[in-house]
Amino acid sequence: MIYSSELIKGTLKTIVLKLLADHHRMYGYEITQKVKELTFEKIQITEGALYPTLHALENDGLVTVESEFIGKRVRKYYTLSPSGKTKTTEKVNELADFMNTMKFLLDIPSPTGFSAT
Amino acid sequence: MYHLSEHQINFILDDIRARGVEMESLQQDLHDHICCIIENQLEANGDFMQFYDTVIKSFYKKELREIEEETISLLTNKNYYAMKKIMMISGTASAIVLSMGILLKFMHYPGAGALIASGILLFSFLFLPLMFTLKIKEKKQTKDKILLGLGSAVGILISLGILFKIMHWPFANIMGVTAVGILILLYLPINLVTGIRNPDTKVNTIVSSILLVAGCGLFLSLARSPQGSKSFYIKNTAYFVRNNELVRNEMQQIEELAASKNIVINESMKSRQIITVCEDLKSMLIWAETGNASIDGNFESKQAWIGETLSEVYFDPASKTYQKYQELLSLVQKYNEDHFGQPGFQPLPSTSVITLENNEKVLDVLNNLIQLELYLLQNEEKNLL
Repeated sequence: MIYSSELIKGTLKTIVLKLLADHHRMYGYEITQKVKELTFEKIQITEGALYPTLHALENDGLVTVESEFIGKRVRKYYTLSPSGKTKTTEKVNELADFMNTMKFLLDIPSPTGFSAT
Repeated sequence: MYHLSEHQINFILDDIRARGVEMESLQQDLHDHICCIIENQLEANGDFMQFYDTVIKSFYKKELREIEEETISLLTNKNYYAMKKIMMISGTASAIVLSMGILLKFMHYPGAGALIASGILLFSFLFLPLMFTLKIKEKKQTKDKILLGLGSAVGILISLGILFKIMHWPFANIMGVTAVGILILLYLPINLVTGIRNPDTKVNTIVSSILLVAGCGLFLSLARSPQGSKSFYIKNTAYFVRNNELVRNEMQQIEELAASKNIVINESMKSRQIITVCEDLKSMLIWAETGNASIDGNFESKQAWIGETLSEVYFDPASKTYQKYQELLSLVQKYNEDHFGQPGFQPLPSTSVITLENNEKVLDVLNNLIQLELYLLQNEEKNLL
Protein backbone atom coordinates (compact mmCIF):
# COMPACT_ATOMS: atom_id res chain seq x y z
CA MET A 1 0.00 0.00 0.00
CA ILE A 2 1.38 3.40 -1.03
CA TYR A 3 0.27 6.23 1.27
CA SER A 4 -1.70 9.10 -0.26
CA SER A 5 0.01 12.39 -1.03
CA GLU A 6 -2.30 14.21 1.41
CA LEU A 7 -0.87 12.15 4.28
CA ILE A 8 2.71 12.72 3.17
CA LYS A 9 2.32 16.46 2.50
CA GLY A 10 2.10 17.42 6.17
CA THR A 11 5.04 15.28 7.18
CA LEU A 12 7.43 15.89 4.27
CA LYS A 13 9.46 18.60 6.00
CA THR A 14 9.95 16.35 9.02
CA ILE A 15 10.95 13.39 6.83
CA VAL A 16 13.53 15.44 4.91
CA LEU A 17 14.95 17.05 8.06
CA LYS A 18 15.29 13.68 9.84
CA LEU A 19 16.97 12.05 6.84
CA LEU A 20 19.47 14.89 6.62
CA ALA A 21 20.08 14.63 10.35
CA ASP A 22 20.86 10.92 9.98
CA HIS A 23 22.89 11.06 6.76
CA HIS A 24 24.73 14.38 7.02
CA ARG A 25 24.42 15.47 3.38
CA MET A 26 22.20 14.22 0.59
CA TYR A 27 21.08 15.21 -2.89
CA GLY A 28 17.48 15.16 -4.09
CA TYR A 29 17.44 11.84 -5.91
CA GLU A 30 19.22 10.20 -3.00
CA ILE A 31 16.54 11.44 -0.58
CA THR A 32 13.70 9.95 -2.69
CA GLN A 33 15.55 6.63 -2.97
CA LYS A 34 16.37 6.49 0.73
CA VAL A 35 12.74 7.10 1.69
CA LYS A 36 11.61 4.39 -0.73
CA GLU A 37 14.15 1.97 0.68
CA LEU A 38 13.41 2.66 4.36
CA THR A 39 9.65 2.41 3.92
CA PHE A 40 9.68 -0.62 1.60
CA GLU A 41 8.34 1.65 -1.13
CA LYS A 42 5.26 2.55 0.89
CA ILE A 43 6.24 6.22 0.83
CA GLN A 44 7.29 7.61 -2.53
CA ILE A 45 8.20 11.26 -2.46
CA THR A 46 7.40 13.04 -5.72
CA GLU A 47 9.84 15.51 -7.23
CA GLY A 48 7.01 18.05 -7.37
CA ALA A 49 6.76 17.97 -3.59
CA LEU A 50 10.41 17.39 -2.64
CA TYR A 51 12.10 20.33 -4.36
CA PRO A 52 9.66 23.06 -3.29
CA THR A 53 10.11 21.74 0.29
CA LEU A 54 13.92 21.70 0.03
CA HIS A 55 13.92 25.26 -1.33
CA ALA A 56 11.59 26.40 1.44
CA LEU A 57 13.86 24.77 4.06
CA GLU A 58 16.83 26.53 2.47
CA ASN A 59 14.97 29.83 2.49
CA ASP A 60 14.15 29.37 6.18
CA GLY A 61 17.84 28.77 6.90
CA LEU A 62 17.26 25.19 8.09
CA VAL A 63 19.41 23.58 5.39
CA THR A 64 22.48 24.73 3.51
CA VAL A 65 23.40 23.84 -0.06
CA GLU A 66 26.70 22.90 -1.63
CA SER A 67 26.98 22.55 -5.40
CA GLU A 68 29.39 20.12 -7.03
CA PHE A 69 30.01 19.37 -10.66
CA ILE A 70 29.28 15.76 -11.63
CA GLY A 71 30.68 15.73 -15.15
CA LYS A 72 28.62 18.24 -17.11
CA ARG A 73 25.90 18.68 -14.52
CA VAL A 74 25.60 20.32 -11.14
CA ARG A 75 24.65 18.24 -8.11
CA LYS A 76 23.31 20.06 -5.09
CA TYR A 77 23.97 18.52 -1.69
CA TYR A 78 21.68 19.53 1.14
CA THR A 79 22.99 19.65 4.74
CA LEU A 80 21.28 20.60 8.00
CA SER A 81 22.26 23.96 9.44
CA PRO A 82 22.63 24.32 13.25
CA SER A 83 19.11 25.77 13.46
CA GLY A 84 17.93 22.91 11.23
CA LYS A 85 19.20 20.39 13.77
CA THR A 86 17.17 22.00 16.56
CA LYS A 87 14.16 22.22 14.27
CA THR A 88 14.46 18.50 13.39
CA THR A 89 14.15 17.49 17.04
CA GLU A 90 11.18 19.78 17.46
CA LYS A 91 9.43 18.49 14.33
CA VAL A 92 10.04 14.81 15.14
CA ASN A 93 8.74 15.26 18.69
CA GLU A 94 5.74 17.14 17.39
CA LEU A 95 4.96 14.39 14.89
CA ALA A 96 5.38 11.65 17.51
CA ASP A 97 2.99 13.49 19.78
CA PHE A 98 0.57 14.00 16.90
CA MET A 99 0.68 10.27 16.08
CA ASN A 100 -0.13 9.39 19.68
CA THR A 101 -3.02 11.83 19.66
CA MET A 102 -4.29 10.34 16.39
CA LYS A 103 -4.10 6.85 17.84
CA PHE A 104 -6.16 8.01 20.76
CA LEU A 105 -8.58 9.97 18.60
CA LEU A 106 -9.16 7.23 16.07
CA ASP A 107 -8.98 4.47 18.67
CA ILE A 108 -6.24 2.60 16.85
CA PRO A 109 -4.96 -0.44 18.74
CA SER A 110 -1.24 -0.25 19.55
CA PRO A 111 1.06 -3.05 18.23
CA THR A 112 1.18 -4.61 21.72
CA GLY A 113 -2.51 -5.26 21.54
CA PHE A 114 -3.64 -2.69 24.08
CA SER A 115 -6.23 -0.19 23.06
CA ALA A 116 -5.34 3.49 23.25
CA THR A 117 -8.37 3.91 25.47
CA MET B 1 23.12 1.17 -16.12
CA TYR B 2 22.79 3.71 -18.87
CA HIS B 3 25.61 6.11 -19.76
CA LEU B 4 24.39 9.60 -20.65
CA SER B 5 26.28 11.41 -23.41
CA GLU B 6 27.23 15.08 -23.11
CA HIS B 7 24.67 15.88 -25.80
CA GLN B 8 21.90 14.11 -23.86
CA ILE B 9 22.84 15.89 -20.62
CA ASN B 10 22.64 19.25 -22.41
CA PHE B 11 19.38 18.22 -24.05
CA ILE B 12 17.77 17.49 -20.67
CA LEU B 13 18.77 20.89 -19.25
CA ASP B 14 17.55 22.70 -22.36
CA ASP B 15 14.26 20.83 -22.19
CA ILE B 16 13.77 21.75 -18.50
CA ARG B 17 14.33 25.40 -19.42
CA ALA B 18 12.06 25.14 -22.46
CA ARG B 19 9.29 23.78 -20.24
CA GLY B 20 9.28 27.09 -18.35
CA VAL B 21 11.43 26.38 -15.28
CA GLU B 22 13.29 29.69 -14.82
CA MET B 23 14.93 29.36 -11.38
CA GLU B 24 18.50 28.23 -12.00
CA SER B 25 18.72 26.43 -8.69
CA LEU B 26 15.58 24.41 -9.44
CA GLN B 27 16.82 23.69 -12.96
CA GLN B 28 19.98 22.16 -11.44
CA ASP B 29 17.96 20.06 -8.97
CA LEU B 30 15.68 18.65 -11.65
CA HIS B 31 18.53 18.19 -14.13
CA ASP B 32 20.58 16.07 -11.74
CA HIS B 33 17.51 14.18 -10.55
CA ILE B 34 16.44 13.19 -14.07
CA CYS B 35 20.00 12.22 -15.02
CA CYS B 36 20.19 10.02 -11.89
CA ILE B 37 16.90 8.27 -12.71
CA ILE B 38 18.00 7.58 -16.29
CA GLU B 39 21.46 6.36 -15.28
CA ASN B 40 20.08 4.06 -12.58
CA GLN B 41 16.92 2.77 -14.14
CA LEU B 42 17.48 2.59 -17.90
CA GLU B 43 19.17 -0.43 -19.44
CA ALA B 44 22.56 0.24 -21.01
CA ASN B 45 21.08 -0.24 -24.49
CA GLY B 46 17.68 1.31 -23.66
CA ASP B 47 15.81 3.93 -25.70
CA PHE B 48 16.82 7.30 -24.16
CA MET B 49 14.11 9.45 -25.72
CA GLN B 50 11.25 7.12 -24.88
CA PHE B 51 12.45 6.67 -21.30
CA TYR B 52 13.11 10.40 -20.83
CA ASP B 53 9.62 11.18 -22.07
CA THR B 54 8.09 8.82 -19.49
CA VAL B 55 10.29 10.15 -16.65
CA ILE B 56 9.63 13.82 -17.29
CA LYS B 57 5.89 13.21 -17.45
CA SER B 58 5.98 11.55 -14.04
CA PHE B 59 7.25 14.85 -12.54
CA TYR B 60 4.08 16.85 -13.06
CA LYS B 61 0.31 16.77 -13.48
CA LYS B 62 -0.13 19.36 -16.23
CA GLU B 63 3.27 20.91 -16.90
CA LEU B 64 6.75 20.92 -15.40
CA ARG B 65 6.49 24.61 -14.50
CA GLU B 66 4.07 23.76 -11.69
CA ILE B 67 7.06 22.63 -9.57
CA GLU B 68 8.50 26.13 -9.85
CA GLU B 69 5.14 27.72 -9.08
CA GLU B 70 4.84 25.55 -5.96
CA THR B 71 8.41 26.48 -4.97
CA ILE B 72 7.73 30.18 -5.40
CA SER B 73 4.51 29.97 -3.43
CA LEU B 74 6.38 28.31 -0.57
CA LEU B 75 9.29 30.74 -0.78
CA THR B 76 7.29 33.90 -0.88
CA ASN B 77 4.68 34.87 1.59
CA LYS B 78 1.09 33.74 1.55
CA ASN B 79 0.06 36.96 -0.13
CA TYR B 80 2.09 36.08 -3.22
CA TYR B 81 -0.86 35.31 -5.46
CA ALA B 82 -2.89 38.28 -4.23
CA MET B 83 0.09 40.57 -4.82
CA LYS B 84 0.65 39.05 -8.24
CA LYS B 85 -2.99 39.62 -9.12
CA ILE B 86 -2.89 43.25 -7.96
CA MET B 87 0.35 43.73 -9.92
CA MET B 88 -1.24 42.41 -13.12
CA ILE B 89 -4.43 44.45 -12.64
CA SER B 90 -2.56 47.67 -11.77
CA GLY B 91 -0.19 47.15 -14.73
CA THR B 92 -3.05 46.62 -17.18
CA ALA B 93 -5.06 49.49 -15.68
CA SER B 94 -2.13 51.92 -15.84
CA ALA B 95 -1.45 50.98 -19.49
CA ILE B 96 -5.12 51.49 -20.45
CA VAL B 97 -5.58 54.72 -18.44
CA LEU B 98 -2.32 56.16 -19.80
CA SER B 99 -3.23 55.29 -23.41
CA MET B 100 -6.68 56.87 -23.00
CA GLY B 101 -5.08 59.97 -21.49
CA ILE B 102 -2.66 60.29 -24.41
CA LEU B 103 -5.54 59.84 -26.88
CA LEU B 104 -7.57 62.59 -25.15
CA LYS B 105 -4.50 64.83 -25.10
CA PHE B 106 -4.05 64.46 -28.87
CA MET B 107 -7.75 65.14 -29.44
CA HIS B 108 -7.61 68.18 -27.07
CA TYR B 109 -10.44 66.78 -24.96
CA PRO B 110 -10.74 67.53 -21.24
CA GLY B 111 -9.60 64.98 -18.65
CA ALA B 112 -6.36 64.10 -20.45
CA GLY B 113 -4.13 65.42 -17.68
CA ALA B 114 -6.02 63.56 -14.94
CA LEU B 115 -5.91 60.27 -16.88
CA ILE B 116 -2.20 60.56 -17.73
CA ALA B 117 -1.37 61.46 -14.13
CA SER B 118 -3.44 58.53 -12.76
CA GLY B 119 -1.81 56.12 -15.23
CA ILE B 120 1.70 57.21 -14.30
CA LEU B 121 0.95 57.18 -10.55
CA LEU B 122 -0.55 53.67 -10.77
CA PHE B 123 2.48 52.50 -12.73
CA SER B 124 5.06 54.14 -10.44
CA PHE B 125 3.53 53.57 -7.03
CA LEU B 126 1.69 50.26 -7.42
CA PHE B 127 2.86 48.22 -10.41
CA LEU B 128 6.63 48.83 -10.19
CA PRO B 129 6.96 48.44 -6.38
CA LEU B 130 4.86 45.23 -6.48
CA MET B 131 6.90 43.88 -9.38
CA PHE B 132 10.08 44.64 -7.43
CA THR B 133 8.76 42.98 -4.24
CA LEU B 134 7.68 39.84 -6.06
CA LYS B 135 10.71 39.48 -8.32
CA ILE B 136 13.37 40.19 -5.68
CA LYS B 137 12.40 36.99 -3.85
CA GLU B 138 13.05 34.92 -6.98
CA LYS B 139 16.54 36.39 -7.43
CA LYS B 140 19.26 34.43 -5.68
CA GLN B 141 22.37 36.35 -6.65
CA THR B 142 23.15 39.72 -5.10
CA LYS B 143 23.95 41.29 -8.47
CA ASP B 144 20.51 40.27 -9.80
CA LYS B 145 18.89 41.85 -6.74
CA ILE B 146 20.90 45.06 -7.22
CA LEU B 147 20.06 45.21 -10.93
CA LEU B 148 16.36 44.66 -10.20
CA GLY B 149 16.41 47.40 -7.54
CA LEU B 150 18.21 49.84 -9.84
CA GLY B 151 15.91 49.00 -12.75
CA SER B 152 12.79 49.59 -10.66
CA ALA B 153 14.16 52.87 -9.28
CA VAL B 154 14.98 54.05 -12.81
CA GLY B 155 11.48 53.09 -14.01
CA ILE B 156 9.84 55.05 -11.18
CA LEU B 157 12.12 58.06 -11.67
CA ILE B 158 11.59 58.24 -15.44
CA SER B 159 7.80 57.93 -15.23
CA LEU B 160 7.55 60.46 -12.38
CA GLY B 161 9.96 62.76 -14.23
CA ILE B 162 7.68 62.70 -17.27
CA LEU B 163 4.64 63.35 -15.05
CA PHE B 164 6.41 66.33 -13.45
CA LYS B 165 7.43 67.58 -16.89
CA ILE B 166 3.92 67.54 -18.34
CA MET B 167 2.49 69.05 -15.16
CA HIS B 168 5.18 71.80 -15.26
CA TRP B 169 6.28 70.89 -11.74
CA PRO B 170 9.85 71.56 -10.63
CA PHE B 171 12.66 68.94 -10.59
CA ALA B 172 11.37 67.07 -13.67
CA ASN B 173 14.66 67.43 -15.55
CA ILE B 174 16.69 66.43 -12.48
CA MET B 175 14.63 63.23 -12.19
CA GLY B 176 15.16 62.36 -15.86
CA VAL B 177 18.89 63.05 -15.76
CA THR B 178 19.28 61.10 -12.47
CA ALA B 179 17.45 58.12 -13.99
CA VAL B 180 19.65 58.11 -17.10
CA GLY B 181 22.71 58.62 -14.88
CA ILE B 182 21.81 55.56 -12.77
CA LEU B 183 21.28 53.52 -15.94
CA ILE B 184 24.57 54.49 -17.57
CA LEU B 185 26.83 54.80 -14.53
CA LEU B 186 25.52 51.98 -12.32
CA TYR B 187 23.17 49.55 -14.07
CA LEU B 188 25.16 49.26 -17.29
CA PRO B 189 28.61 48.61 -15.70
CA ILE B 190 27.23 46.09 -13.16
CA ASN B 191 25.26 44.26 -15.85
CA LEU B 192 28.18 44.29 -18.27
CA VAL B 193 30.91 43.22 -15.84
CA THR B 194 28.89 40.40 -14.26
CA GLY B 195 27.21 39.17 -17.43
CA ILE B 196 30.12 39.22 -19.87
CA ARG B 197 32.21 36.77 -17.81
CA ASN B 198 29.67 33.98 -18.19
CA PRO B 199 29.80 32.47 -21.71
CA ASP B 200 26.04 31.67 -21.48
CA THR B 201 25.02 35.28 -20.86
CA LYS B 202 27.81 37.02 -22.82
CA VAL B 203 25.86 37.69 -26.04
CA ASN B 204 22.67 38.70 -24.22
CA THR B 205 24.64 41.05 -21.98
CA ILE B 206 26.30 42.75 -24.94
CA VAL B 207 22.98 43.09 -26.78
CA SER B 208 21.16 44.45 -23.72
CA SER B 209 24.00 46.92 -23.06
CA ILE B 210 23.83 48.19 -26.65
CA LEU B 211 20.05 48.58 -26.36
CA LEU B 212 20.49 50.43 -23.07
CA VAL B 213 23.05 52.87 -24.47
CA ALA B 214 20.94 53.41 -27.60
CA GLY B 215 17.79 53.96 -25.49
CA CYS B 216 19.54 56.47 -23.21
CA GLY B 217 21.01 58.18 -26.29
CA LEU B 218 17.56 58.54 -27.83
CA PHE B 219 16.16 59.83 -24.53
CA LEU B 220 18.96 62.38 -24.16
CA SER B 221 18.64 63.46 -27.81
CA LEU B 222 15.16 64.72 -26.88
CA ALA B 223 16.63 66.85 -24.11
CA ARG B 224 17.93 70.33 -24.89
CA SER B 225 21.59 70.98 -24.14
CA PRO B 226 22.56 73.95 -21.93
CA GLN B 227 24.04 75.58 -25.05
CA GLY B 228 20.77 74.92 -26.91
CA SER B 229 18.80 76.54 -24.08
CA LYS B 230 21.08 79.57 -24.16
CA SER B 231 20.67 80.17 -27.90
CA PHE B 232 16.89 79.63 -27.54
CA TYR B 233 16.74 82.28 -24.76
CA ILE B 234 18.90 84.67 -26.79
CA LYS B 235 16.62 84.31 -29.80
CA ASN B 236 13.50 84.94 -27.68
CA THR B 237 15.05 87.91 -25.90
CA ALA B 238 16.06 89.42 -29.25
CA TYR B 239 12.40 89.16 -30.38
CA PHE B 240 11.31 90.97 -27.24
CA VAL B 241 13.94 93.71 -27.61
CA ARG B 242 12.91 94.31 -31.24
CA ASN B 243 9.21 94.40 -30.32
CA ASN B 244 9.96 96.85 -27.52
CA GLU B 245 11.88 98.98 -30.01
CA LEU B 246 8.79 99.04 -32.27
CA VAL B 247 6.67 100.33 -29.37
CA ARG B 248 9.17 103.13 -28.64
CA ASN B 249 9.32 104.15 -32.30
CA GLU B 250 5.54 104.17 -32.52
CA MET B 251 5.30 106.35 -29.39
CA GLN B 252 7.83 108.78 -30.82
CA GLN B 253 5.99 109.00 -34.14
CA ILE B 254 2.70 109.67 -32.38
CA GLU B 255 4.27 112.38 -30.27
CA GLU B 256 5.69 114.01 -33.43
CA LEU B 257 2.31 113.72 -35.16
CA ALA B 258 0.58 115.24 -32.13
CA ALA B 259 3.11 118.07 -31.98
CA SER B 260 2.52 118.83 -35.67
CA LYS B 261 -1.18 119.19 -34.89
CA ASN B 262 -0.55 121.17 -31.70
CA ILE B 263 -2.06 118.47 -29.56
CA VAL B 264 -0.46 117.74 -26.22
CA ILE B 265 -0.11 114.12 -25.18
CA ASN B 266 0.20 113.91 -21.41
CA GLU B 267 0.42 111.24 -18.80
CA SER B 268 -3.10 111.84 -17.54
CA MET B 269 -4.63 110.38 -20.70
CA LYS B 270 -6.25 106.95 -20.11
CA SER B 271 -4.10 105.29 -22.78
CA ARG B 272 -0.91 106.79 -21.35
CA GLN B 273 -1.88 105.63 -17.85
CA ILE B 274 -2.20 102.09 -19.16
CA ILE B 275 1.09 102.33 -21.07
CA THR B 276 2.82 103.53 -17.87
CA VAL B 277 1.47 100.53 -15.94
CA CYS B 278 2.57 98.23 -18.79
CA GLU B 279 6.07 99.74 -18.72
CA ASP B 280 6.22 99.33 -14.91
CA LEU B 281 5.17 95.71 -15.18
CA LYS B 282 7.72 95.07 -17.93
CA SER B 283 10.46 96.63 -15.80
CA MET B 284 9.49 94.54 -12.77
CA LEU B 285 9.53 91.32 -14.79
CA ILE B 286 12.78 92.17 -16.61
CA TRP B 287 14.40 93.00 -13.28
CA ALA B 288 13.21 89.75 -11.70
CA GLU B 289 14.24 87.67 -14.69
CA THR B 290 17.57 89.27 -15.65
CA GLY B 291 18.68 91.43 -12.74
CA ASN B 292 18.59 94.53 -15.03
CA ALA B 293 16.00 97.31 -14.92
CA SER B 294 15.78 97.29 -18.70
CA ILE B 295 17.40 95.47 -21.59
CA ASP B 296 18.42 96.67 -25.04
CA GLY B 297 20.49 95.41 -27.97
CA ASN B 298 23.45 94.75 -25.62
CA PHE B 299 21.60 92.14 -23.57
CA GLU B 300 23.83 89.33 -24.84
CA SER B 301 27.04 90.89 -23.56
CA LYS B 302 25.35 91.48 -20.17
CA GLN B 303 24.12 87.87 -20.16
CA ALA B 304 20.67 89.30 -19.48
CA TRP B 305 18.38 87.01 -21.37
CA ILE B 306 14.79 86.05 -20.64
CA GLY B 307 14.43 82.40 -19.65
CA GLU B 308 11.46 80.09 -19.34
CA THR B 309 10.29 81.02 -15.84
CA LEU B 310 6.56 80.54 -15.36
CA SER B 311 4.77 83.84 -14.80
CA GLU B 312 3.08 82.48 -11.67
CA VAL B 313 6.49 82.62 -9.96
CA TYR B 314 6.45 86.43 -10.11
CA PHE B 315 2.69 86.94 -9.78
CA ASP B 316 2.14 85.73 -6.27
CA PRO B 317 -1.14 87.33 -5.03
CA ALA B 318 0.78 89.12 -2.25
CA SER B 319 3.39 90.59 -4.62
CA LYS B 320 3.63 94.15 -5.99
CA THR B 321 3.69 92.69 -9.49
CA TYR B 322 0.31 91.12 -8.91
CA GLN B 323 -1.12 94.38 -7.55
CA LYS B 324 0.17 96.14 -10.66
CA TYR B 325 -1.43 93.46 -12.80
CA GLN B 326 -4.79 93.98 -11.07
CA GLU B 327 -4.45 97.73 -11.58
CA LEU B 328 -3.80 97.11 -15.28
CA LEU B 329 -6.90 94.90 -15.62
CA SER B 330 -9.18 97.50 -14.07
CA LEU B 331 -7.67 100.31 -16.18
CA VAL B 332 -8.14 98.27 -19.35
CA GLN B 333 -11.75 97.54 -18.45
CA LYS B 334 -12.42 101.25 -17.77
CA TYR B 335 -10.68 102.24 -21.02
CA ASN B 336 -12.83 99.84 -23.03
CA GLU B 337 -16.02 101.08 -21.35
CA ASP B 338 -15.13 104.76 -21.89
CA HIS B 339 -14.33 104.34 -25.57
CA PHE B 340 -17.05 101.83 -26.40
CA GLY B 341 -18.85 102.65 -29.65
CA GLN B 342 -16.40 105.32 -30.83
CA PRO B 343 -15.68 105.10 -34.59
CA GLY B 344 -12.49 103.19 -35.39
CA PHE B 345 -11.94 102.18 -31.75
CA GLN B 346 -10.19 98.84 -31.17
CA PRO B 347 -11.21 97.37 -27.80
CA LEU B 348 -8.27 96.06 -25.77
CA PRO B 349 -8.31 92.26 -25.45
CA SER B 350 -7.59 92.42 -21.74
CA THR B 351 -8.42 88.99 -20.32
CA SER B 352 -7.25 86.84 -23.23
CA VAL B 353 -4.00 88.71 -23.93
CA ILE B 354 -2.67 89.29 -20.46
CA THR B 355 -3.92 86.15 -18.77
CA LEU B 356 -1.64 84.45 -16.25
CA GLU B 357 -3.31 81.09 -16.63
CA ASN B 358 -2.30 78.04 -18.72
CA ASN B 359 1.28 78.15 -17.47
CA GLU B 360 2.14 81.35 -19.29
CA LYS B 361 5.84 82.06 -19.25
CA VAL B 362 7.32 85.47 -18.37
CA LEU B 363 8.27 85.96 -22.02
CA ASP B 364 4.63 85.44 -23.07
CA VAL B 365 3.45 88.02 -20.53
CA LEU B 366 6.08 90.53 -21.72
CA ASN B 367 5.11 90.08 -25.37
CA ASN B 368 1.42 90.36 -24.47
CA LEU B 369 2.08 93.65 -22.66
CA ILE B 370 3.80 94.95 -25.81
CA GLN B 371 0.78 93.96 -27.89
CA LEU B 372 -1.47 95.82 -25.47
CA GLU B 373 0.69 98.93 -25.83
CA LEU B 374 0.54 98.66 -29.63
CA TYR B 375 -3.27 98.46 -29.52
CA LEU B 376 -3.36 101.65 -27.39
CA LEU B 377 -0.92 103.48 -29.65
CA GLN B 378 -2.89 102.54 -32.76
CA ASN B 379 -6.05 103.90 -31.13
CA GLU B 380 -4.21 107.15 -30.30
CA GLU B 381 -2.92 107.36 -33.89
CA LYS B 382 -6.42 106.93 -35.33
CA ASN B 383 -7.68 109.77 -33.11
CA LEU B 384 -4.91 112.05 -34.31
CA LEU B 385 -5.47 111.24 -38.00
